[in-house]
Amino acid sequence: MGEPRRHAPESLWVGVSEVDVHRLVRALMSSYEVVGARLRRGRLVLDRLADHAELRLDYPPRVHSPKKFLFPNWERLFRFRLQGTVRLEAEHAAPPRVLFGLHPCDLHAVRILDDCLFDGQADTAYRAKREASILVGVDCDPDDHCFCTSLGTDRVAAGFFDLFLHRDGDRYLVQVGSGRGRALLERFAPGWLSRPPEDPLPLQPKRTRRRLVRPPEVLAAVLEDGYDDPIWEEIGERCLGCGSCTLLCPSCYCFTVEDRLRLDLAGGERVRVWDSCQFDQFTQLSGGGEARANQADRQRHRFFRKYKYLWDKHRRTACVGCGRCSRECLARIDPVEVLNRLVEEREARVRALRPPGGEYRPELAEVVAAEPLSPGVRRLKLRLPRSVTFQPGMFVTVSVFGLGEAPFTIASDPDGGPHLDLVVAAQGSLTRALHRLRPGDVVGVRGPFGTGYPVDAMAGRDVLLVAGGLGMVILRALLLALIARRREFGRIVLLYGARHPQALLFRDDLRRWLDRGVVDVRVIVEEGDRSWCGPLGNVVRLFRRLDLDPGRTVAAVSGPPDMYRFTTPLLLEMGLSPDRILLNLERRMKCGLGKCGKCRIDDLCVCEAGPVLPYDRVQGLREAIER
Amino acid sequence: MKLRAGFFDFTGCEGCQLAVLLLGEELLDLLALVDVVEFREVMDGRGGDLDVAFVEGSICGPEQEARVREVRERSRVVVALGSCADTGGVNALVHDLDPGASHGIVYGREHPPARTGLPRPVSEVVRVDVRVPGCPVDGAEFLQVLQSLAVGRTPWLPAYPVCVECRLAELPCVFERGETCLGPVVRAGCGARCPEGGDRCRGCRGLVDNPRESAYRKVLEEQGLSAEDMVREFRLFNLGGRR
Repeated sequence: MGEPRRHAPESLWVGVSEVDVHRLVRALMSSYEVVGARLRRGRLVLDRLADHAELRLDYPPRVHSPKKFLFPNWERLFRFRLQGTVRLEAEHAAPPRVLFGLHPCDLHAVRILDDCLFDGQADTAYRAKREASILVGVDCDPDDHCFCTSLGTDRVAAGFFDLFLHRDGDRYLVQVGSGRGRALLERFAPGWLSRPPEDPLPLQPKRTRRRLVRPPEVLAAVLEDGYDDPIWEEIGERCLGCGSCTLLCPSCYCFTVEDRLRLDLAGGERVRVWDSCQFDQFTQLSGGGEARANQADRQRHRFFRKYKYLWDKHRRTACVGCGRCSRECLARIDPVEVLNRLVEEREARVRALRPPGGEYRPELAEVVAAEPLSPGVRRLKLRLPRSVTFQPGMFVTVSVFGLGEAPFTIASDPDGGPHLDLVVAAQGSLTRALHRLRPGDVVGVRGPFGTGYPVDAMAGRDVLLVAGGLGMVILRALLLALIARRREFGRIVLLYGARHPQALLFRDDLRRWLDRGVVDVRVIVEEGDRSWCGPLGNVVRLFRRLDLDPGRTVAAVSGPPDMYRFTTPLLLEMGLSPDRILLNLERRMKCGLGKCGKCRIDDLCVCEAGPVLPYDRVQGLREAIER
Repeated sequence: MKLRAGFFDFTGCEGCQLAVLLLGEELLDLLALVDVVEFREVMDGRGGDLDVAFVEGSICGPEQEARVREVRERSRVVVALGSCADTGGVNALVHDLDPGASHGIVYGREHPPARTGLPRPVSEVVRVDVRVPGCPVDGAEFLQVLQSLAVGRTPWLPAYPVCVECRLAELPCVFERGETCLGPVVRAGCGARCPEGGDRCRGCRGLVDNPRESAYRKVLEEQGLSAEDMVREFRLFNLGGRR
């Protein structure tokens, strides 16, 4: 999918009228099957257009999602003939098609289908349709069931669409989101490209009545704790098992495969049709019995899949907050209600366990090793009173009583035990005190906190790491995790820039990885010395000789704020998708609990949602990189 | 080897047999799979042992009981064809009426009383192997069942409710317009034909194997239906004489 996702960083914006849009649709119909919202027997449905005038660009979120065309309910996989010897006949290629006017949530849902269906061995039946489909987005008006604003799916980044029509008064501002989108305009609406380009429309925040009380990042942990919650029995008792929730979900794709014989038995076809985890017989075994025999188990499975299993794997909820499931549920099972209740119950349990202020009280940890790493930088190894689990990229706060506490990225990978490595640069009184610590001394620790690197989601890809200065600390944790599962990843390339050779951290590690060939390490410094025989300059220089396939690469960038301003456009230019560029946006994370407000980027709380954030999550947030 | 098949009508309107006859060209393809040796609608005579007996209509009284037992004995597979055979169908409404009065309505006062018993589903008299539900049956589903029997595959009926087919057809929910619909507990397979036509599902295809009774009751209660109202909803096709 390299080409459709290619994103021009100087993405183009042009103003057009509704009449212009209809002209474009009419032109497209000469070469493509065009699908859009239209009236069919008094109802708005997503359907093939016979005439451009049928197209409705303002339609309610109730209309079916593009899954109807990208992963249809009835799809022939192949035909077979039974007369004489058995013969199998392949299916024809998918027709070239434009899906014209998709809401932002549904564009996000397409990416979820990509995640799932391209994962491992790609589903080529889906891929054929996906590659033959051009996606044109359009603004929407949320209704009472939408909760996209809670999942960040009310806005959509370039790379998720080929063209997007932003409503701007009585005209549209067209955003080109891919090379394919631009090529489409060159061929079918060349006049648009010669109009004066306009400024991007400032982000238009949407309002939804339904909202999750916590960000999506915490839902996986909330569900994990809530596996035995009585809520599953309650909604299982209410559920009618009709499967409307999954059939209408824009990202649910479970299916069954059936043989359909011709009446004369001379042959037939093998087809796939949608199935639902809510149906009887979905998990039926040939020997009898069902793996998930009751509706409570089935509903729990649906929620876990949406907000935990696929989150763990792809670092995206498999829900886009479109509200179709609750809108069409006769039993009024509402994901927002279910999730908010689980969150509130969990927080109540935590409150009951802890005395007032307990979450602010650190555990005591012993320093087991302390050593210099580079001038002014020391490594501390701490032993906590319990085993800790965390993802690379998460952080803890360290207290020196009397001086206060500060956040530190964990520089090691989880060893299943109680140990953590931290890297401390002497900056102020607290860090200078930490530099004075010797083995046996005691500090306070809270955490781990935050959301780190989605290591599972990176499996099967090439990984590009870009480190600047102390930004190397968090990437060392990631590298350790990648190397522990080295075979699951393609190439691993580290670009590491530092001010001068003495400031390079973890030199022993770097040399060992390079020598063993597990990581392609490329280092640059701004000021060399007599010992230095490597390149001189900014880390950006190291991009010149990169030969990674952007379609299969995920990048992790960590460094001072300035660095993101240079590197992110470079990565986009290379063709990396915005959701595969992971930035370390550390802010002043004081409480680690999503409360104190010091680490917020616009409305996003870094200590919960970050510090590791995919670029598409912060694209458009003015405080993220621009400032 | 072609299947030897017979069609047998009991108490019903024979509309299901007509639905089969109305298949048209597909009916000719069908004749490549089966030898129809008994079919009162189109032929005379008796066919001996059968691979498949399609039984249409509900069973009323001792005479019909004896006849359906005789059919059962010489048939490898007995198929209940249509609602009357499958659940008792519309006929079973008579269970709730005064027999004398209903007879008068149907046959008129001057006609001597016919010796009919109360209608029952076929499965209350003999073992039924396969069901083709619906009032009338769906021709395509009938063909699919027959084809399965011809190739030795277990005939399949959807285990999910009509709601699924409404969703797939992008029909608005009947409940949204304030009406009651049996769709959430009734077996799909009809393509939600009645909601598509602006009506509601009245349950001619019978209940799914595992109807979510308490969940459905809650929906009806919220709509303001009393226990009696609910029984009335089911009575048309789905009580088979039971209260």
